[in-house]
Amino acid sequence: MNEQNRKSDVWQGTMALMILKTLESMGPLHGYGIARRIEQISGDRLSLNYGSVYPALLRLEQEKAITSEWGTSENNRKAKYYRLTAAGRRRLRQETEDWAEASSIVARFLKAKEWA
Amino acid sequence: MKTLWAWWARLGGLFSRNRREREMADEFSSHFEMHVADNIRAGMKPEEAQREAMLKFGSMEAARESVREVARPLWIETTFQDLRYALRNLRLNPGFATAGVLSLALGIGASVAIYTVVDNLLLRPLPYPDAQQLVMLYETNPHRNFQHNVISPANYFDWKAQSTTFTGLGAFFDFHVILGDGKRSEEVDAQAVSGEVLPILQVEPIRGRVFTLQEDKDDAHVAVISYRLWQSWFGGDEGILGRQIQVNSRPFTVIGVLPPDFYFNARSSDIWLTLGLNPAENLRKTQGRWMWAVARLKPGVKLRQAQAEMSGIARRLEAAYPEFNRGWGIDVEPLRDSLVGQVKTSLLVLLGAVALLLSVACANVANLLLARYSARSREIAVRGALGAARGRLVRQLLTESVVLGLIGGVLGLGLAYFAVSGLVAMAPRDLTKSVAISFDLRIVSFAFLVALLTSIVFGLAPALMASRNDLNRNLHAESRSSTGTGSGMRRWLVALEVGCSVALLAGAGLLFRTLVGLQAVNPGIDDHNLLTFRVTLPSKRYAEPKRVEFFARAAEQLSHLPGVRSASAVSYLPFNGPAAGTKVDIFGRPPAKPGEELIGTIRTVLPGYFRTMGIPLVRGRDFTAADDQTNTPHRFIVNEAFVRKFLSGQEPIGTQISALMENENPFGEIVGVVGDVKEGTLDKEPTPTVYYIHAHITYGEMVFVMRSETDPLALAGPARKVIKQLDPELPVSQLRTMETVVRQTFSRQQFSAVLLGGFSLASLVLACIGIYGILAYSVTQRTREIGVRVALGAEPGNIVRIVVGSGARPVIAGAVAGMLMALALSGLMKSLLYGVGPRDPLTFVAAPVLLAVVALIAAYLPARRAARVSPMEALRTE
Repeated sequence: MNEQNRKSDVWQGTMALMILKTLESMGPLHGYGIARRIEQISGDRLSLNYGSVYPALLRLEQEKAITSEWGTSENNRKAKYYRLTAAGRRRLRQETEDWAEASSIVARFLKAKEWA
Repeated sequence: MKTLWAWWARLGGLFSRNRREREMADEFSSHFEMHVADNIRAGMKPEEAQREAMLKFGSMEAARESVREVARPLWIETTFQDLRYALRNLRLNPGFATAGVLSLALGIGASVAIYTVVDNLLLRPLPYPDAQQLVMLYETNPHRNFQHNVISPANYFDWKAQSTTFTGLGAFFDFHVILGDGKRSEEVDAQAVSGEVLPILQVEPIRGRVFTLQEDKDDAHVAVISYRLWQSWFGGDEGILGRQIQVNSRPFTVIGVLPPDFYFNARSSDIWLTLGLNPAENLRKTQGRWMWAVARLKPGVKLRQAQAEMSGIARRLEAAYPEFNRGWGIDVEPLRDSLVGQVKTSLLVLLGAVALLLSVACANVANLLLARYSARSREIAVRGALGAARGRLVRQLLTESVVLGLIGGVLGLGLAYFAVSGLVAMAPRDLTKSVAISFDLRIVSFAFLVALLTSIVFGLAPALMASRNDLNRNLHAESRSSTGTGSGMRRWLVALEVGCSVALLAGAGLLFRTLVGLQAVNPGIDDHNLLTFRVTLPSKRYAEPKRVEFFARAAEQLSHLPGVRSASAVSYLPFNGPAAGTKVDIFGRPPAKPGEELIGTIRTVLPGYFRTMGIPLVRGRDFTAADDQTNTPHRFIVNEAFVRKFLSGQEPIGTQISALMENENPFGEIVGVVGDVKEGTLDKEPTPTVYYIHAHITYGEMVFVMRSETDPLALAGPARKVIKQLDPELPVSQLRTMETVVRQTFSRQQFSAVLLGGFSLASLVLACIGIYGILAYSVTQRTREIGVRVALGAEPGNIVRIVVGSGARPVIAGAVAGMLMALALSGLMKSLLYGVGPRDPLTFVAAPVLLAVVALIAAYLPARRAARVSPMEALRTE
């Protein structure tokens, strides 16, 4: 497995989570807006190809976590808007908990001093 | 089919792919526009804004490719996974796979075979344009119980003149002619048709033309031939039109060839000739009822309207010609009903039977699947625990049953292919006489559908049940605590199998009792060691005196062949279709009122006929060679039914009678009375019959009968030789033993009985497998319990009783339900039965008893194994 692939593996899970969170806090939004928002929130630490949100969006849509429809942007442009579904909301909650749990375990594990 | 494909394609995303590509392009470009606009608002120059947006986006091609990858439907991939998994599972369990596939192959094969016949006969459109507008017209006489009677040419012309609901009305009849071309001559089946018939059917000749109305009126010597005859006799000669042929020794000109798939009423017709009726003649005086009529309804006209009009015409004709038409009506019937006729009942019964068999096969496979799944319940639970969604599990299990179903379907289709040719070979003649049976893509798609549907039917419930299982319980629990997945459902399935089997057994039982009853019927003749064959003399070369001479000499020579006891001939062989029937007068009685005439069956015989056929001479004497002379006075022999019904109390010998057969019908005395022969079929009563000596009704076509010392078919060669020596141009046709002729009259019942018997046997075997399976499984499950019982002192007998008893409940429930089902359905087969009622008590007791006995045997085997369980071993097993 090369570097590129390893990165994208980690990405698949976290990207979905970030998209769901973005949609939860921002309401319906188009792909560009989502990518923008993720980049803003993470600051410079995450260099993100905007193009990579689209496969993740499609997958979430297939999994029925989000739905999409064509609408008009604030500048009167046609854009595809994504919206969180009830299932998506549940999933976001679940994954947030899982993530917190997992990261606390890993954090504690890495912090542990004694290896008896 | 088209919608199915569209549906399929949409499912596969094949259609929506273009749409998705377009949407993706739109989405990406709107993304860019927004990004560029934002950049410009942030102060960038346009080119810079664009470059930045592109850079941020990353590789466009990579983004497209990964969207496409996500869009690639998941189901294709998972289906392949499921398929591999299913095949591996089947391979690992060859016993289960074989039992399942064979059950299904049997069920599907039988269904497809019967469906093929039903489809061809009842469902497909007939091969004529707008065939639903075609009708047959019959005369009917309810008082005499004549339905579907032949019609009178005189009435036919009046119908034509008065009716307004048809675009065309034509008459025809089937017969046979001797066809010759100067080199060889053969008997071929022919149809005489009025000029309207072929245009009514809208058949387009592939060469030449059909008859004109004028040619029909003139009885022109022109002929239209079948494609088959064109190919086989004339080698497809392109110069066929205008060719001269000999029909019954008269010259005819071929004017047309009909297309290869054309047939009407009789599939064997090879030549069509004009009917040549002359409407100017007083046909009511000279001709009775002898031909058939076909018509095409005007567009938009309903059968009901035509029937109403024809009934009105019949009433007018009855009033105008009371002597001829009193009591006669007209029946208008769709052509298909006429062609299929009585076979419909047999087919519907068989279709019902095959549905039952298919249900049993499905239940059996569902049963097997449940057992398999409960053995795999831990594996299924583990998959669930590892995160497989329930829907996914159900789909995986369903894939297995669909694979099973499709393999069974392919085998079943193969089975059906051979079964259909077997079916057609042993089918009653009227089943295949008028409609072709073909096995084509339509049937293959039906088989595919049946396989798919059945696999969902038998697979869905077990799959749902297996996947619903409480994961925890199945992961933790060993089999000891549960009686297994869906064991309640398995009992229901066994009950279903038993029920269907009992219903099938009852149906088969009724038909077999009918067959036995028919075989025990005394036909009135001794049909053993009798050979029959037909010889037709062309009327051109054989005038009346020559006909009498020919048949007398032929019978004489045939009776002198070694191994022949006696030989004679008759106009209409018994049990071989209808004979002539006409009005009979008894001398000294006032003329009968119209509609109340005595009607007798008329047969013409040669001397020695009764002795040869084994018909007893009750009184008086047989005809002698001296009677067989044209110039002798009329003398008659009648049967006992005639004496009983028409001459009650009167001395028959010497009574003068006359029958309306020819222009002059002088009275003649009765010289003998012979025993009754059943008329038409064995289940019909004998009709009053008058026998003429051949010299007085000199038919040119007679059926020879020869009584042999031993095997009658051994006489076939010598008999042919005798005829050939008398006239080398005369073909011998329909050479058969009398036993064959008689047996054909109940081939309908025999056909249904054999098939139903086969179906019920198959379903019995399947039900037994089901019972055995469920009990054997429960014994394995309850080994510990049984061990405890034995340890506590249970006798082997007790154990057997417990196990058999647990199997008995579904069997009894199923048997009762099956009896009720059979009682409800058996009324449908009433017209097939003879000598037993549709509720025959013996059958309805025997069927469940037979099943119970077989079921007990199936249950005893696992019970015996249970009784041998050693407590130590049982307790140690887990």
